[in-house]
Amino acid sequence: MHIPDGYLGPQTYAVLDAAIIPIWIVAGGRIKKALKTKQVPLLALGAAFSFVIMMFNVPVIGGSTGHAVGATLIAIILGPWAACIAVSISLVVQALVFGDGGITAIGANVINMAVVMPFVGFYLYRLIAGDDPSPARRVTAAGIGSYLGIVAAAVAAGIEFGIQPLIAHTASGQALYAPYPLNVAVPAMALEHMLFFGPLEAVVTMGIVVVLARQDSALLQMKPAAKPLRWLWAGFAGLLLLTPLGTLAPGTAWGEWSVSELKAAVGYVPAGLEKVGGLWTATIPDYAPSVIRDPLVGYFLAAVVGAALVVGVTWVIGKLLARRDGGSAHPTPPGGAA
Amino acid sequence: MIPVLAHISDTAPRKRGGVRSLARRTADTISGAVREVLENDDLASSPGLMQALDPRVKLVSIVLFAVTASFVHSLAVLVALVLATMVLAAASGVGIGSFARKVWSSAGLFGVLLSAPAATAWITPGAVLVPLGPLSITAPGLLIAARLITRVAAGAGFGLLVVWTTRWTDLLRALGALGVPDLVVATLAMTQKQIMSLLRTVENMHLARESRMLSGGTAKENRGWVVERMAFVARRSMKTADDVYDAMLSRGFAGEMPSLVDLRATARDRIWLAASAAACVLAIGLDRMVLPL
Repeated sequence: MHIPDGYLGPQTYAVLDAAIIPIWIVAGGRIKKALKTKQVPLLALGAAFSFVIMMFNVPVIGGSTGHAVGATLIAIILGPWAACIAVSISLVVQALVFGDGGITAIGANVINMAVVMPFVGFYLYRLIAGDDPSPARRVTAAGIGSYLGIVAAAVAAGIEFGIQPLIAHTASGQALYAPYPLNVAVPAMALEHMLFFGPLEAVVTMGIVVVLARQDSALLQMKPAAKPLRWLWAGFAGLLLLTPLGTLAPGTAWGEWSVSELKAAVGYVPAGLEKVGGLWTATIPDYAPSVIRDPLVGYFLAAVVGAALVVGVTWVIGKLLARRDGGSAHPTPPGGAA
Repeated sequence: MIPVLAHISDTAPRKRGGVRSLARRTADTISGAVREVLENDDLASSPGLMQALDPRVKLVSIVLFAVTASFVHSLAVLVALVLATMVLAAASGVGIGSFARKVWSSAGLFGVLLSAPAATAWITPGAVLVPLGPLSITAPGLLIAARLITRVAAGAGFGLLVVWTTRWTDLLRALGALGVPDLVVATLAMTQKQIMSLLRTVENMHLARESRMLSGGTAKENRGWVVERMAFVARRSMKTADDVYDAMLSRGFAGEMPSLVDLRATARDRIWLAASAAACVLAIGLDRMVLPL
């Protein structure tokens, strides 16, 4: 996921490089308050661990191997702000010592792997685990958090790649940087991580959480999240407001054609597709409620309804898991590093 | 000089008719990374054009070149920038072959794989150069792919020039002099040191496992072992952070970081910076006003 120089145009990397500075300042302030003078060795070792965990070859299937990123795991151990700085430092060292990841693309790599991944992973972990989780619930939460954390980071990278043809092209429409549009770049990055790297990240994170819970459970003490969760909701609301940007992408996502679009493209409709294509009629087809005329408003409302459904289902699952755990949850000491 | 230990992994005998086990592969990868850092330090300490520059000036000029490569769209200018990285590498005592191989393996190969579909009619329609049905190579597609690959190669080449011709300590001094807070510089310095230490630990774990195993083990067994070792490294990292902090306190550390900055730019550095800026302006000027896309 390390983006080298050359794939992102100046309009993108300049914005992302500038965006990480306030994030680092806020993160630095938070961990300085929590860790005081201990921050230097703790962050250095956190960054070193982040680097080294990527060097482990993990067997996957068919004799192949992959490696985990570990950003969610580091966020679980150190807290999300400290993880943000630790993974950022690791990425800077990778770029400046090993030439892995571009110099101009440092902002993009930090946003994807040191901001999106640990924050999404950590807050999902907190949301599912709650304040006092049982071992099984903690491991499940770590798996889901790390899986969705890396998928979210991949989607962010896909968006960065996918907007390049929209914002930087020649007069004849040729892409000047990464050449694939959103409807190719985002599914390509997302699918690769949903099917391969996501499960790997989840298995590794869950395994390490199991071992740490057995050998050194103090490392897994729950980090405070009440206040930062408000920021999560604020960020979530911001993303919802930005959803009408999705209407900028023209055409239909690759592989998501309707029967009529497919017929127009290849000249016929496969029999099997024709047979099962009409089995289900969506409540809000094409993210455009039939009662709303303005497509931008319709798209936004579809996003609100979809997000509310996802949050609601997650909340219900969390409640059910909490009820099932009942009094079996083992005590964990309060507080944390960040 | 590179310690003898750094060479051990690659010379050790391989098991099972030459097929390397997972432990051996990981140990070799880590050994390669450690050796690369040590070789970089050797190269950065040897005489050469880039090594003689003030690290601040070198860092600023290389960032200027990397940014210029991102602004340029003409294939001819991009190729000239790639050639410039090779000329600078040669003038700094870096073997052109090893430089090109590293650029190719770190970014070029990935660039080719990523841009290959864009060269076809499937993604970029246009005049067909090589007819292969829906995967026919088109002229505009080939131009897009060539532009992306050369830009990536130029960016990776400039980045590699910094990595291979600057000692890590000098790079940290340059960052400090350029306004990066002392706390961040100190953390970066400690990070690199701890990375090397942890890498050695992880390499030894894998070599120990390799030496104790008669067969490669199943994927499930290996996965369990790897995860357990990762957890060990996590615990070791946090324990070391405590130990390092205690050592810092016992030496009188009270939160103040000593500044590493004692750099002085010479006339040569100023000439280099001016020449670099002029070259960048020239490249962008040629790209925008003279050469076609």
